[in-house]
Amino acid sequence: MVTMTIDGQQVRAREGAYLLEVARSAGIEIPTLCHHDALEPYGGCRLCLVDVTREEWGGWCKMVVSCQYPAEDGLIVMTATERVVETRRVVLDLLLARCPETPLVQRLAREHGIEATSYARNPEPTDCILCALCTRVCDHIGVSAIATVDRGVGREIAPPFHEAPPDCIGCLSCAEVCPTGFITFTSSERARTIWGKSFTMLRCPSCGRAHITVEQAEHYAGRGGVPRSYFETCDACKRRGMADTFRRIAAGVAPVSVAG
Amino acid sequence: MAANIPQRPAETAPRISPSAEGSTTRGTQSPGTVMIYKVSVERCIACGKCELACAFAHGSEGQPAKTRINIFRRGPELGTPVVCFQCHDAACVAICPTEALVRNAATGAIDVVYERCIVCRMCVAACPFGNMQWDEPYHRVAKCDLCGGSPQCVPFCPTGALQYVPGDEAAQRPEPLVRGTS
Repeated sequence: MVTMTIDGQQVRAREGAYLLEVARSAGIEIPTLCHHDALEPYGGCRLCLVDVTREEWGGWCKMVVSCQYPAEDGLIVMTATERVVETRRVVLDLLLARCPETPLVQRLAREHGIEATSYARNPEPTDCILCALCTRVCDHIGVSAIATVDRGVGREIAPPFHEAPPDCIGCLSCAEVCPTGFITFTSSERARTIWGKSFTMLRCPSCGRAHITVEQAEHYAGRGGVPRSYFETCDACKRRGMADTFRRIAAGVAPVSVAG
Repeated sequence: MAANIPQRPAETAPRISPSAEGSTTRGTQSPGTVMIYKVSVERCIACGKCELACAFAHGSEGQPAKTRINIFRRGPELGTPVVCFQCHDAACVAICPTEALVRNAATGAIDVVYERCIVCRMCVAACPFGNMQWDEPYHRVAKCDLCGGSPQCVPFCPTGALQYVPGDEAAQRPEPLVRGTS
């Protein structure tokens, strides 16, 4: 454990924990856009900037992204100094220029006192803030169907060659995690479409309800080391099957103890 | 990182529910006392009070269809409650790509850490018993968490089909329910 100071408050933290996590567990809120508890820190949005210093630094301090800066013994963290707040405002100002029509960005900017961007408004407004939550989630699922492509102003989230991604399983996690709703999809009992790729839905053999895509079942089967048929039955029908097993056990029809 | 899903899910059930009493779930209420969530299928009269209690306790807008305990009705006043077994070697935990499903040391239940959930719904597909559900009103996965060690369905069960009892009591065969003849 290490002992440090955040906004004048003495806190104890696990060694190797990042400042953002330590601050949040101490009840100190730091704004973020690209952070997710389940994913590795990314440092992309630059909103979680904080000032850090130490007693022996003689007043000198440096600005770091709190989501990627590990806790150290004796560190003094300031989450809302004038220059931190001003830098966050610049970040949001730029983000508002890029995404002028995105409610999440508008709200965050307004909370920081920015009503309209002071930069040139993006002539082609987008909802994508390049937080890369979608690509990181896709990596975690073990698919990696999408990625950030190009650099600088041309940077964007896209499938390879802007074509329907061959690896995508249509799980929709990228769309679920997207904070701005930039990733769109359609899903019905018949079919699902995302990233320009169409998927056939897998139907439960008992009730006929479509619950996952064929590609999802195949991917899960590979991950779990079980046959695809394991994932074909929907959860409601699995419950019904379980209820029947219990009824038979209670009635003495099924053996009371099957497993050793 | 290959997840370890039980190869033969059908045989996982009896390990958790070793006797005719139905399903049991292990948990601890106070140090030293292992509490078991016990379901006695024979005593269920399919009244649905547990489903309502669950739906209200978890705020799913009181919709019994969105409960985490499900009664399968197989005749007049005959039902089989199905609820998460909190498996020892759980498929949902094994397949979760973000370790969002963790065992609560105090209650013995597997809890969903929603901050870590990326809504991939792999657990819903992976549970061999269908006890991991999708809660559309709240747009998230939902499972029985034993209400943090005080299951709200238990006090509402009029026949004692659902009980939360110390481990040694859980092994006892339930009293047969005296049912009406009409």
